[in-house]
Amino acid sequence: MMPVLPIRPLLRRALLGLAVTAMPLVFGGWSWLEGPQSTLQTAGPVAAEQAKVFYVTVWVTISIFVVVAGTLAYATLRFRARNAADEHVAPPEQSHGNPLIELSLIAASVLALVIIAVPTLRAIWYSYDVPEEEKANMYEVNATGYQWWFRFEYPKEQIDGSGTLVAANELVIPAHRPVRVNLRTTDVIHSFWVPKLAGKVDMIPNRGNHLWLNADQPGYYWGQCAEYCGESHAVMRFRVIALDEKDFAAWLTHQKQPGRTVAAAAMADERPKAQFASYKFTPVRRNAPGWTEQFDADPFGHWKQQQQPDPEEDPVLIAKGRQLFTQKTCAGCHTVRGQEGAGRIGPDLTHVGARTTIAGGLLENSPQNLHRWITDPNNVKPGNKMYYGTGGMQGYVKRNGETWEQNITVSDEEAHALVAYLRSLK
Amino acid sequence: MDALARSNFIGKEAQPDAARPWIFTRPTAKTGIVSWLTTVDHKRIGLLYGMSALFFFLVGGVEALMIRIQLAVPNNTFVSHAVYNELFTMHATTMIFLAVMPLSAAFFNYIMPLQIGARDVAFPRLNGFAYWVFLAGAIILNVGWFMRSGAPDIGWFGYAPLTSKAFSNQFASDVSTDLWIMGLQILGVSSIIGSLNFIVTIINLRAPGMTMMRMPVFTWMTLVTAFLIILSFPAITIALVELMMDRSFDTNFFEVSKGGLPILWQHLFWVFGHPEVYILILPAMGIISEILPTFSRKPLFGYPIVVFSGACIGFLGFGVWSHHMFTTGMGTVATAAFALMTMAIAVPTGVKIFNWIGTLWGGHLSMRTPMMFALGFVWMFMMGGFSGIMHSAAPADSQQQDSYFVVAHFHYVLIGGSVFALLAGIHYWFPLVFGRKVSELWGKLSFWVIFIGFNTTFFPMHFLGLNGMPRRTAVYDGNMGWNTPNFIATVGAFILAVGIGIYFAVMIYTYFKGEKAGRDPWDGRTLEWSLPNPPPEYNYAVIPTIHARDAYWYEKHHRDEIARENAEHAQAEASHGGIHMPSQSWFPLVTALGLLGGGLCFGCKDAINATMSGWGMTGHNFGILFAIGFGVMVFLGALLWALEAPGGYHVHAEEEKH
Amino acid sequence: MSSQAATLAIDHHHDATTSTGIPNKKLFMWAFLASDCMFFGALISTHLIYRLHPPPGSPSPRTIFSIELTSFSTFILLMSSLLMALAVNAIQRGDVRSTRRNLLGTIFFGLIFLGCQVYEFNHFVSEKGLTLSSSIFGSTFYTLTGTHGCHVAIGVLWLTLMYVRTFKPAEADSGAQPWLTSTFAHLVLFALAIVSWMYLVLALIHGVQETGLGLATLGHWAGEHVVVLGAGIVLAVALNVMGRVRGAVDFGQANAIDVEGAGLYWHFVDIVWIVIFTAVYLLEYL
Repeated sequence: MMPVLPIRPLLRRALLGLAVTAMPLVFGGWSWLEGPQSTLQTAGPVAAEQAKVFYVTVWVTISIFVVVAGTLAYATLRFRARNAADEHVAPPEQSHGNPLIELSLIAASVLALVIIAVPTLRAIWYSYDVPEEEKANMYEVNATGYQWWFRFEYPKEQIDGSGTLVAANELVIPAHRPVRVNLRTTDVIHSFWVPKLAGKVDMIPNRGNHLWLNADQPGYYWGQCAEYCGESHAVMRFRVIALDEKDFAAWLTHQKQPGRTVAAAAMADERPKAQFASYKFTPVRRNAPGWTEQFDADPFGHWKQQQQPDPEEDPVLIAKGRQLFTQKTCAGCHTVRGQEGAGRIGPDLTHVGARTTIAGGLLENSPQNLHRWITDPNNVKPGNKMYYGTGGMQGYVKRNGETWEQNITVSDEEAHALVAYLRSLK
Repeated sequence: MDALARSNFIGKEAQPDAARPWIFTRPTAKTGIVSWLTTVDHKRIGLLYGMSALFFFLVGGVEALMIRIQLAVPNNTFVSHAVYNELFTMHATTMIFLAVMPLSAAFFNYIMPLQIGARDVAFPRLNGFAYWVFLAGAIILNVGWFMRSGAPDIGWFGYAPLTSKAFSNQFASDVSTDLWIMGLQILGVSSIIGSLNFIVTIINLRAPGMTMMRMPVFTWMTLVTAFLIILSFPAITIALVELMMDRSFDTNFFEVSKGGLPILWQHLFWVFGHPEVYILILPAMGIISEILPTFSRKPLFGYPIVVFSGACIGFLGFGVWSHHMFTTGMGTVATAAFALMTMAIAVPTGVKIFNWIGTLWGGHLSMRTPMMFALGFVWMFMMGGFSGIMHSAAPADSQQQDSYFVVAHFHYVLIGGSVFALLAGIHYWFPLVFGRKVSELWGKLSFWVIFIGFNTTFFPMHFLGLNGMPRRTAVYDGNMGWNTPNFIATVGAFILAVGIGIYFAVMIYTYFKGEKAGRDPWDGRTLEWSLPNPPPEYNYAVIPTIHARDAYWYEKHHRDEIARENAEHAQAEASHGGIHMPSQSWFPLVTALGLLGGGLCFGCKDAINATMSGWGMTGHNFGILFAIGFGVMVFLGALLWALEAPGGYHVHAEEEKH
Repeated sequence: MSSQAATLAIDHHHDATTSTGIPNKKLFMWAFLASDCMFFGALISTHLIYRLHPPPGSPSPRTIFSIELTSFSTFILLMSSLLMALAVNAIQRGDVRSTRRNLLGTIFFGLIFLGCQVYEFNHFVSEKGLTLSSSIFGSTFYTLTGTHGCHVAIGVLWLTLMYVRTFKPAEADSGAQPWLTSTFAHLVLFALAIVSWMYLVLALIHGVQETGLGLATLGHWAGEHVVVLGAGIVLAVALNVMGRVRGAVDFGQANAIDVEGAGLYWHFVDIVWIVIFTAVYLLEYL
């Protein structure tokens, strides 16, 4: 048999040390739950109900854990052999169990599960669809997932001559109103998840799913695709912006307008214009962050600001950008309503300048980031269709047998013009 | 391993039949490469399974480390999105199918026949075949790393329609998905064949007196797992067949434009996938139910209830698959039904924990390394179980599904559960298998490093998930509040890696230089400890007679009675010509090689055809033609296997002095 | 004529060497069939799910099926099970000659079933335009019935091997080498005979469909395929000669478990067909 090991006192000390260092870690953990996609700091009744069920499960399981783990720890410490001699004493009584204890423990576990089951069942029905009494007040939108971006459609908002209102990657909804989101996809499975507003529901081909949510307050909420959907799944993100009734109505009215043209009056403006707009592009490495702290400090404020035209805009550059938009075949896949382009393959760009993000919610909508996205799309979102082309449309590269060759190049100068144009689409 | 092989063979062999044609000449080598290639000995096959599984365990571990390096800091560029996707796909596939399952199979093979007092499994050659087929599947799954297509990158769950040619071959011809399909199908063949063998062995080859309710719990869990395998693998095999037909022969099972329903894949996959979870954990529970009583020095508390709850888990395991699909919009009634079923399955699982604690209660616990891992298992499995209960509440799950909370949960169940138990099992049975004992100091050190590393890695992931971090994402932004937990998790992963490193370094050292262990070093309770270590090729010189549940414990306390019985049996057996041993055979290997070639050719047919047309040969689907060629090899292998007949020879055990 | 064990009374339902008394091979087969049930369960479920959710433009199965032909082949498969049962019974009695006869009958009926399926598939593809890729119905139908067809084909192969195996001479009489050679010869003859006769039968059916049943058709058929016909006749004679081996064989009551295993498989495949016939064909006529 083994000699007694000197390791035990050492271990005890190590464990104690570990427990002490773990304390701030565990309690500091709560600050780990305050991110923009926190599932516990909720901002709507659906997410709140789901968090409530989660807390029920947490308290029930922690209670069981304390009892069971306490017993286990006690049994381990109480009955362990303390030294080598102890290991060689006569074996303990060879008992085989106690049916009464077993049955009562089974009954107790069933009881604990009932405590979880009741709120679970209630919440399943609650979170499935808008409650009947609120149906009259319900707003409805359609969300469609693509590799790797979201299209949002407002079926109630018809635009004369061009069908329903369509937006991309930023879903603007009325606050204080239940919103039913119909979830569709035409390629692979995606999942619509805005953690602060509601748990996720998948978008599955040939299947009509939906979820509902209700934003307690006007605000800016982060969302992300939660089902693996191919190469760039990690960067398939989106935002939900909730507005109060007045702002939402105003936003709708503005969205129904065709793409903004920089007026001739502005052309006549004699103010000196920045030669290549107001930024200088510096290339960044792959996966470089596309967000800024100033933005995160007040995202909702930034969103409002983004609705306003850029005071620095340069009509000449914008006009050149508009030309390039057709020349570089952007218009083949993208729509700028009222101007060039009727493509539905890519996101609708009619009001792209008024969005806070580009590239499927990945990058903040800044001139720098637009430039980066336009000049090097495959490093921002590998495998995307703007770069590789799809359905007969060729992208930045085209196929030549098993290899790819360059098809579209965007020079620095051209990028500046395109950025100016896209920025002008408020 | 040579030492093992040499020491095994006692007795002389029958002369080979001179009249047999060369093709049926049975290999008789007891050492060297041929002896391993042609082996039918369940212990050697168990070792082969174990070695392969540990190899792939390390491969999967390296993949995991690469994943953790990429996620250590936000916006990292250590690997590309594409490689990251290959890494998490292959990490899961490798760990589930090539590490944990075969490691369990290693124990089934080595330990189970010993526990029931058998000399081998019911179909020894089929057992060898199952192993070689497993190896073929493992090679096919991993061959993509060395090809232009790369490794599979569709997730281990391979949700349609991402697996269809329209998506996987969007930008380049890609055979990785085809290889994934072939690999999993072939692994399925191996698992089913192996399990059928175990079922027959357990039901039919028990020693006299070994009634079902006297079987060791590990053997019981082997039986339940084997039934789960034969009943659940067909679902994924058919799903894979349908996918293969879609990709290779243009059928429309999951073709969205023709009305295919991708949700059907999910149902078929999880009808397999959930029982698979229990396939991974039940053997672990069996091992724990062996170790705890041994080191508590008292019988398992409530044996019938532990056995019954294991069977109950296996049975209910078929009724909860849709809890993996709570976010697919199943509707309220289906969601509620599956939520309640999932809660129900927590009861038999909890019962096991109660019984393990009951086993400790009033015992004399020797805190040896296997016991440390076993207790670590109980703690970690409890944690994983509790987060599992949280998932059963479907509304809460709709926030946790596909987030890092789930990643934390199933790693607590699969590492804290399955892997801890398997590591405990390796320590526990090491003296029996290799005749040497691992140093307690180093064993315990490895336990604590693994334990700390594991918790440091996975506990923060609960917070990541609750804070909205989705899984399977190659990059994340630094403004989401995920930076610190991710960094801690990566540090933990390296601690875990160091722990695993210590564990295996100690094992290798012990194999060569470790302290020699005598017979029954742990004061064992089950039959395998009655054997000398390492056990002889024929296991039992005399088939034992079983009188009680903890058979060897009984034997140790009734020595005279057992000695008398054994003498009678030995005499009876000698009068039949001695111990009958099955002959070795080449054909399991040959047949499995046919499957390997066929699987590779069929999987790579696009690449093969492209290459052939590069050489100016077109007009035929060469990939499929080659696959058919290998199919003929499978047929001939199986035919000659049938014609060579089981064979066999007799040995006379010289009862060793002990 | 049969093995040395023939005189011993063997209890075919009990094997004293196993814990339960059930022979290992039998238990194995039952467990395998349980697994196989799940294979077919998954395939049939797929078919039925798509039947409940047919995509727009799905073909109507009633316009495709020819229920008379399928009913006939179903009946044939059922009868083959009867012959299989007789074969098992015969070998349990140690009657090798009767076993051979019944095995041949089972093989023959299995081949008729397969022939009908080949004919049906060919007819559906060329006449009705139903292919694997034409619709979901095509995909599920061909995959399901094709998988069953593969099972029947494997069964036929197995029974063929079993049939050839019954000629293995008793070890005492001759070495294994000549037997191995003759076994392969036997197998090759068998395979050639099957191919040629299946070819002839299909050609005849085709001829009858084209020009109607009559002496002229028959003559035309014989003339056109004279080489194959000759080969078929020669092969049939050769097989008959090989089947007349006298002398002791190493096949008898002791091998009953092998025949019974094949029998279990055969009956199972038959039962599965009943389910498929109901779920895929008859359901459309309700």
